[in-house]
Amino acid sequence: MGGRASHPAQWGAVIERSITQVARWVVAALGIATAAFVLLDAEYRHHFLTGSGVAQGALIAAVALGVMLTYRGSGVVNFANGVIAMYVAYVYTVLRRDGDLFLPPLPNPLSVIEGIVHQFQPHDTFHLPDIPTQISFGNGLSFWPALAISLAFCIVLGLVLHFFVFRPLRFAPPIAKVVASVGLFLLLEATVIRRFGTRPIAVKPIPFLKKTTQMNLGFIKLNQEQFFVGMLVIAFAALLWVLFQKTRFGLATRAAAENEKGAVVLGFSPDFLAGTNWVLSTVITGLLGIFVATSLSTIEPTVLPALIVPALTAALVGGFTSFPRTTLAAFVLGMQKPLISYLGVNKTWFPKSGDQAFPGVDRVLPFLVIVLVLYLAGDALPARGSITAGRLPFSPTPPKWALRIGGPVLGLAAAVFGLFIFSPAYRGALSNTLVGVIICLSVVVITGFVGQISLAQMAFAGISAFIVSHLSSEHGWPFPLPIFAGAIVALVIGLLVALPALRVRGVNLAIVTFAFAVAVDDMIFKNNSVNGGFKQALVKAPDWIDPNQPKQRKIFGLIAGDGKLPNPTTAIFCLVVTVVLCYLVANLRRSTTGRQMLAMRANERAAAAAGVNVSATKLLAFAISAFIAGIGGAVIAYRSGNATPDKFDYTQSLVIFAFAYLGGISSVGGAIAGGFLVAGGLVFTFLQQSLGVPPEFTLLLGGLGLVITAIQNPEGIAGRLRTDGLRLKAKFQKPRSPSSAPTTAAPLVDTGSP
Amino acid sequence: MALLETTDMTVTFGGLRAVDSVDFRVEKGQLVGLIGPNGAGKTTFIDGITGFVPTTGNILFDGHEISHEPAHRRARRGLGRTWQSLELFEDLSIEENLQVAAEQQSVGGFLADLVIPQRRRAYANVQFALDVLGINDLAKRMPTEISQGQRKLVSAARALAARPQLVCMDEPAAGLDTKESEDLGLRLGRIIDAGTTIFLVDHDMGLVLSVCDYIYVIEFGAKIAEGTPQQIKSDPRVIEAYLGSAAGSHEAAGPHESAEPEK
Amino acid sequence: MATPLIEIVDLYTGYNNVPVVRDLNLHVSPGEIVALLGPNGAGKTTTLLTTSGLNPIIKGDIKVFGRSIKGVRPHLIARQGLAHVLEDRALFFQLTVRENLELGSAKGTVDIDQALKYFPALQDIQGRRAGLLSGGQQQMLAMARALTSTPKVLMVDEMSLGLAPIIVENLLTILRQIVADTGAGVLLVEQHVHLALAIADRGYILSHGQLVIEGTAADLNANQRLLESSYLGGGELDAAT
Repeated sequence: MGGRASHPAQWGAVIERSITQVARWVVAALGIATAAFVLLDAEYRHHFLTGSGVAQGALIAAVALGVMLTYRGSGVVNFANGVIAMYVAYVYTVLRRDGDLFLPPLPNPLSVIEGIVHQFQPHDTFHLPDIPTQISFGNGLSFWPALAISLAFCIVLGLVLHFFVFRPLRFAPPIAKVVASVGLFLLLEATVIRRFGTRPIAVKPIPFLKKTTQMNLGFIKLNQEQFFVGMLVIAFAALLWVLFQKTRFGLATRAAAENEKGAVVLGFSPDFLAGTNWVLSTVITGLLGIFVATSLSTIEPTVLPALIVPALTAALVGGFTSFPRTTLAAFVLGMQKPLISYLGVNKTWFPKSGDQAFPGVDRVLPFLVIVLVLYLAGDALPARGSITAGRLPFSPTPPKWALRIGGPVLGLAAAVFGLFIFSPAYRGALSNTLVGVIICLSVVVITGFVGQISLAQMAFAGISAFIVSHLSSEHGWPFPLPIFAGAIVALVIGLLVALPALRVRGVNLAIVTFAFAVAVDDMIFKNNSVNGGFKQALVKAPDWIDPNQPKQRKIFGLIAGDGKLPNPTTAIFCLVVTVVLCYLVANLRRSTTGRQMLAMRANERAAAAAGVNVSATKLLAFAISAFIAGIGGAVIAYRSGNATPDKFDYTQSLVIFAFAYLGGISSVGGAIAGGFLVAGGLVFTFLQQSLGVPPEFTLLLGGLGLVITAIQNPEGIAGRLRTDGLRLKAKFQKPRSPSSAPTTAAPLVDTGSP
Repeated sequence: MALLETTDMTVTFGGLRAVDSVDFRVEKGQLVGLIGPNGAGKTTFIDGITGFVPTTGNILFDGHEISHEPAHRRARRGLGRTWQSLELFEDLSIEENLQVAAEQQSVGGFLADLVIPQRRRAYANVQFALDVLGINDLAKRMPTEISQGQRKLVSAARALAARPQLVCMDEPAAGLDTKESEDLGLRLGRIIDAGTTIFLVDHDMGLVLSVCDYIYVIEFGAKIAEGTPQQIKSDPRVIEAYLGSAAGSHEAAGPHESAEPEK
Repeated sequence: MATPLIEIVDLYTGYNNVPVVRDLNLHVSPGEIVALLGPNGAGKTTTLLTTSGLNPIIKGDIKVFGRSIKGVRPHLIARQGLAHVLEDRALFFQLTVRENLELGSAKGTVDIDQALKYFPALQDIQGRRAGLLSGGQQQMLAMARALTSTPKVLMVDEMSLGLAPIIVENLLTILRQIVADTGAGVLLVEQHVHLALAIADRGYILSHGQLVIEGTAADLNANQRLLESSYLGGGELDAAT
């Protein structure tokens, strides 16, 4: 036998460690070299040190500082912080423009009831009194009152978020907190869109700052506003640094983050610390959001929310603890944007797509930095020593009756309704629901069975959809080959994204996948050479699938369809794929692999002790999940006849995650329930067609439902139905044996005889 | 040849030697015990053998050097373990908990599973484990529905379901009352009779002294005594390690200074 | 008799509603050191956690300074003057020694200086991060931090964990001194029985969650055989084969 360090297997470990070490040096050297080059070359420096870059950087820093505060105070990685910046900026803008403070119960929920009543009562005579959805302060306010009211709003928002959303979740597993923040993201964004639409709104200038006054600091030229926001962010970062290094409150927050129990026995209330940090976070994020919106002159609901990705990147670079490092990283990430767009236009070596600069390169940088940081630093988020950790939703074995009777009955019903009964609107809704079920199934595998959060499922689907479009229409691949090609490419890319998953888990993985979804969205889906620009990326489908084929067919002697679009047999195609995948996922849950996944989800160490290869199983889950998402994307492409970027953008990934969680994250039944709920699916079509609920409510109800589900009912609709069913059953059955209750230690000798 | 043999096995955390060059043997068919005061490094010792902390020195299991293999491979070689905190898979029924340990997975098996799952592969092993520990009636229940004592048995059964050659049990009697602890002793006997070797770590000296064939004692990570239960019982160093130095006798204090960690 | 600082009455406590400690009665008065002894898994640590409100009571009651702690949030119990040195010491490794002490102290530097008097070894390393301390220093810091809140009662859990007996003896002597100076009560969980009984006034011995014996330290020390059997297993030492 070999000596201490001579065993070959040990060399492997040594080599791996040295590779990581070398990689760290290489990355550091490359970073320094790039920085030196950019700063020393006059042309590069000129386009890097710009006023607009400073403003962008300030905005990213603002969102990042807020994210760090809530993470340190309560352990929540708040994906919604960019949306909060936008929301507060809207509050301020509208206060200044109209003097109105609009309130979150928006739009007036009573209008839904009116809508329903009007369905049954043809004369619009029924009116409920309006509940106030805004408080008016007269005409447009001047700067200081508007700022004061906006800040008061921030404080209230912070308290509401703490007491009604995240405090109830303090013992919940990290995934539930991510879910709640995603719900918040959707809810706040939907509220703004519902109220103001997506068109940009002008922001009134701040009286003591002038855009026209240019300031030359020698190395950089910027206007007064840009200078002010840059300084403001730096001042806040410095203040926070002092707060966390020097004050009792800051020390206590750091202490509680590291060892909550220790802080409690010294008389600190973790609850108070968390709440205060929430308020600090919303105030700082909101205040800076207002100033940066001013310097950008206009505000729109789509730009700020996506800034959460560079903000999270900056926070990761700062290890979620260092305010100065985070701020610096944020400025770099903001300032590279003008430089990259300059290079794209002016440099021949810049990657081109057609004759245009390759889009979205500036969005890829944050993704690459995130992957590098996580890979080189391992789990970058400092772990919180909380007192208890909750459990993930229960994942039941699919019962026999569901597989033998429930599945076939549901499938047959869908077929009959889709072919012969549904009106065109409901036929479209059925297809949407079926496609939604497929994507939800992919979430069930990765999040429900393995406990890893992926916020990029629609990105995988989109990659597959665009491949299907190209292969079917340009290369003439016959149906169904493109489906498999698309799904396999999605699988491979899924595996690549999953590689960090071997080193990180939970929230970090959510960050990686979210950054991936944003990068793919900008670089690939919005790339005109991929999406076909005006011509669109069309899909060549066989007649019976093609949604634009209104032909009526005879099936079993009955006429299917009414000669209108969409084609009724399109839904049948979706149905067949959905049913096959449902059974595969149900089988997965019942199989050895499924048990290994759940074992791993419950406890990685114990699973390894039981002989489960944890890394391989995790990769397998990612592969299966991305493959299913890929098939889903291919089905979307075939059933819509084209692939468009809006179907697969990063918000769609969040939305589908929301509906999967709402339906029930851990079972096939949950995926089916989730499919019913998706935008344009059966439930919302019913609400819209039969009850007159406007379609904008989809996102609003989805976000709200997600927040409530995360807090109240983590097992989702399917889980709730199941537990209610069990409770009913238990009512009618006598208890099996006295020892069935989990009471005190029952005598061991009674538990059976050999 | 011994079934498990460590030579000079050491585990260090920072500067602290949590397991300090321990030589140790388990013969096939024996029930070997490991005792020592709280914080002596007993659980770390099991972690080291089963691959949950990196070790130096050699670990020979069934003739193979395993000290650099990942945990799941050691488990597949027939080196099972239980946990003090049990660590049951709370989302799986008792039967499924055992199945995870009993079944091996291959690529072909995975693809077959997607079409025909729930083939009762390796079910004999699950049944064996349920029988040996006498918990057949718990098979369909969920871990949340059973008592603490029953959970301990399930934890042991899960380790057994892999049909290991050796199972390391970490504090199976902690938290049990005296009667339950005695009953556990009986069941350990049955595991031995079924041909599985046991390495038992426990604080319940009554249990360890009454069931083990051979006992090791460690303190501050280092071995301080070994022998049959009779020898251990009369060893003054053992009594001292448990009760602290009796009035005035401090001679044991000297060599322990290395135990102060320098993190 | 004055109201006891801690009074535990018919207590059942444990985890997930499964009791680990059953029917425990115990009290600590001002100026006395009470040792809570017993083998691992006996329920000592659980008892302390329940007393500081970190673990729920299943049945029975605990009164701290004469008031029941049921429904009182744990940080409020701590603020009344109950200090708890946790088994894992719960130091904040990212913070310096000084910062750790500041977090314990309610009033400021006076308390810190007072506490440092008992642990002069910490005086010179106040700027060092707690994570870099040795085991003995960490234990001292944990105790010093508890003292800075000038507690009326101090609970110390397994301070000997990973420490050589000579260091433990040292710390116990300091503990006795603290009690003599401040008149606080101490509830001490300790595995080194003889060391603990050497400085304690009274002792309780738990085994498998139940009280086996209680008495003055002298009585317990005198009953050597009973002590050994409660540790080395149910008095059946000789019957075992």
